[in-house]
Amino acid sequence: MPMPSRGPAPSRLPAMAIRIAPIAGILILWEIAALSGIWPRQVLVPLEQVGATLLALASDGELARHLSASLYRLASGFLVGSVIGVSTGAAMALSRNVHRLLWPTFSCVRQVPVIAFIPLLILFFDVEDSFKIVVVAMASFFPSALATHDAVRDIPESHREVARLYRMPTAPFLVRLILPATVPQVLTGLRLGLTRGWLSLVAAELLAADSGLGQMMEMGRQLFQIDVVLAGVFVTGLIGFLLDNSMVRVERHLSRWRTA
Amino acid sequence: MTDHRPLRGPATDKAARRTGAVRISGLSKRYAMGGKAMTVLDDINLSIRPGEFVSIVGPSGCGKSTLLRLIVGLDTDYDGEIRLDDTRVAGTGLERGLVFQDHRLFPWMTVAKNVEVALLNQKLPRDRRERVISEHLALVGLSDFGDAYPHQLSGGMAQRAAIARALANEPKVLALDEPLGALDALTRVKVQAELQRIWMEAGTTMIMVTHDVDEALFLGDRVVVMSPRPGRIARIVDVDLPHPRDRASPLLHRLKDEILAELTREPREDDGTLVTFPGRPRG
Repeated sequence: MPMPSRGPAPSRLPAMAIRIAPIAGILILWEIAALSGIWPRQVLVPLEQVGATLLALASDGELARHLSASLYRLASGFLVGSVIGVSTGAAMALSRNVHRLLWPTFSCVRQVPVIAFIPLLILFFDVEDSFKIVVVAMASFFPSALATHDAVRDIPESHREVARLYRMPTAPFLVRLILPATVPQVLTGLRLGLTRGWLSLVAAELLAADSGLGQMMEMGRQLFQIDVVLAGVFVTGLIGFLLDNSMVRVERHLSRWRTA
Repeated sequence: MTDHRPLRGPATDKAARRTGAVRISGLSKRYAMGGKAMTVLDDINLSIRPGEFVSIVGPSGCGKSTLLRLIVGLDTDYDGEIRLDDTRVAGTGLERGLVFQDHRLFPWMTVAKNVEVALLNQKLPRDRRERVISEHLALVGLSDFGDAYPHQLSGGMAQRAAIARALANEPKVLALDEPLGALDALTRVKVQAELQRIWMEAGTTMIMVTHDVDEALFLGDRVVVMSPRPGRIARIVDVDLPHPRDRASPLLHRLKDEILAELTREPREDDGTLVTFPGRPRG
């Protein structure tokens, strides 16, 4: 079924303007402050210089190198973390024994920011890729596991009774009932996990890396090239935004049955 | 009168039903509510013939829905005995179906897929499975709606889809828990007629709980009248009228008055009299 379009077409342009207004406002204030000379130009870099640096980084392949390193780590870490997260969450919700065994530990460890584990993880894993993949996996594990656990628990008893009544075997019970009933909530968890993974990855790269967006920013800081740091900030925000946005689209597509 | 079976459609004659007899004996059900034992059902005895349509009416709290849940095995904690064709009921089974008050179709599945849910426990070849689904959609008049989603159906259609799902694995007994309770009056009358036709075609033993005395009488070979707190069978009314029935039948109207009198008489007597004599003959 076609989704009803939100509002008539003519209002598209003003709507877009409203969405962009806050960020445009920040950029304008920034530019004014940078030109005013309150802070030295090396500290508060004018926008055009950040733009030029970004272009330079993009054209000589430097940005692409860092970005692909980061995205590779994000993708592998997220894949591992979300798969383990979703299965752990489902297992905790479906089996009382698994719940008893894992839930207290899960609830405690969940409260510790992943970044706090970084010093420890550096000692155990190779400083380059594998350490960062583990960080991303851990960061995305918790939101996915928690969302899946809650989603499965939230399946109404009335649905479960139908399954009992028709003696649905385990495989179809999982594939036809548990999975579709939990898709919307699980996807929200995955989306959160992806964001957490991305944030933790950039943080980890700031602390220890040879490549990656975070490392690029850290190098910029050490060399007092604030324009490079800011270019990194822009790209980090943009990538995060695009990832989140695509997850929202997937979420909306797979939860169509909810729009009754 | 002799016990002549009501007129039935050809499908039933072919089946010559010998199975689908339900015998409930000495059935009691208690809940613990805040440390206090509550008796929901007290010494229920009821024998249902194969292929019979039994309606159960009674005020809220008489345990009629609980009785159905016990029969289909969603609740297994009770005293006494429920037997289906000499087998003691223990847990759910495909030979006993239930239609809930809300249709309980899965919203993410098409109507056909929802009907298929009932068939997943059996290893049927795909083409046979498809045929069973389309036969049962045809039975409830939803042949054109197999690909529709539940939210695209009206209340009556959704409930018919639920009936198709419940009948798909040809249960010997189908329990119906106020299946038409959520429908508007006009749709209700239509689906009642549908249900009568479906029952005559399928020949399944049906036990229907309802609040609606007209509905109970229109469909039931017998109407079980229950009284509340604790839930007991107050009376069983035989409706000696062949199917398909005419709503205008004077017999139905007379029986309705009797049942309504029974339903409204009960509380006053229970609350007003301190001493009641069990087994006292009734006027």
